[in-house]
Amino acid sequence: MTAAKVDRLIDELVAEAAPVTPLASPGYRAFAWLGTIALIGAVAIYAFADLRSLLDRYTDREGQMVLEMAAMLATGVIAIAAAFFLSIPGASRRWLAAPLPPFAAWLILSGMGCYAHLVERGAGGLEVGESGECLLFIVTTSALLAAPLFWRLSRARPIDPLPVASLGGLGIAALSAFALAFFHPFTVTFLDLAMHLAAILIVVAVMGMLNRRTLASS
Amino acid sequence: MLVAAQTGDGAAYRRFLTSIVPFARAVARRRSGSDAAVDDIVQDALITLHRVRHTYQPGRPVKPWLAAIVTRRAIDSLRRHGRVARQEVSNPVAYETYADPQANRDSAADMARSLARMTQELPPGQKEAIELVKLKEMSLVEASAVSGQSIASLKVNIHRAIKRMRANLKDDER
Repeated sequence: MTAAKVDRLIDELVAEAAPVTPLASPGYRAFAWLGTIALIGAVAIYAFADLRSLLDRYTDREGQMVLEMAAMLATGVIAIAAAFFLSIPGASRRWLAAPLPPFAAWLILSGMGCYAHLVERGAGGLEVGESGECLLFIVTTSALLAAPLFWRLSRARPIDPLPVASLGGLGIAALSAFALAFFHPFTVTFLDLAMHLAAILIVVAVMGMLNRRTLASS
Repeated sequence: MLVAAQTGDGAAYRRFLTSIVPFARAVARRRSGSDAAVDDIVQDALITLHRVRHTYQPGRPVKPWLAAIVTRRAIDSLRRHGRVARQEVSNPVAYETYADPQANRDSAADMARSLARMTQELPPGQKEAIELVKLKEMSLVEASAVSGQSIASLKVNIHRAIKRMRANLKDDER
């Protein structure tokens, strides 16, 4: 390509350059999306959740319940925020690792809960609870959240869509798992936890595979 | 200039695009390590920049934003070339073509001999599949009727045969 070719390309780009509205900051866009979802989620939890069984499950372990749910929520919120930031060219790659500490805390705290249940119940603590339903709940809720999230993320037409979509997948799966805790009338066993993880992996993998078609800029 | 360009100021947009070309070329050259790929990367980067110009936030530094776009396109270019290099085998003889068909006889004969030899080296099922479908240009249904191989077997044998012939061609080049 010679300078003349570059000049010709610039001529073409200038000719079709309509005015554009700059995107709001990624932090604001993430906050707006999360705020909307939080409102809808709060209404759904208020209307349908089984809060009594949630409290019963964590009797004498309220502190752990708060930490575990805070870790789930933090994983979801930070992963979604990271997806919005990374959708803009030039964002720090550190956003890729941002959700990992709360995600690790969530796994450790859930694992501790499963272990306590195993010690308390003996072999019964290894039973499969309602794992299939958990998986279905997380995948279905994630699918419902995926459409509005992709819609908002695609506004930025990310130049590297795979990490954006994967972080978005982790975020919505974590938020779905957080919501699940309000509808989970039994203690989580190791196999249930494995099923939750499988659901998260499914959501992240599907979001990752969908990334190019739905988000790509070129 | 970019902020003015976002409002539709064509002159400012032209000045901006023209002024960033040297920077884009420098980033592309550093990332790709090849002068040959630089022009394509700069072109791709300019088109991408045009599509995502609404993501630039007024007041923020332009260079990191621009460098990220050029770097991304350089990585894509390297991957693309890597894929092509993995899938395609260079055959210098194939480029020796002349307007006069008579002049091509030697190279064509060489290629035919090379192809015949490689076909002969294939296992019987693969050899039959290649001969019927690729050399005699039969449809899969016709080839299946002639050979007795199922259509699925023919597809598998053709795939394996081409893979083996490509590997042999690579070995010949070494």
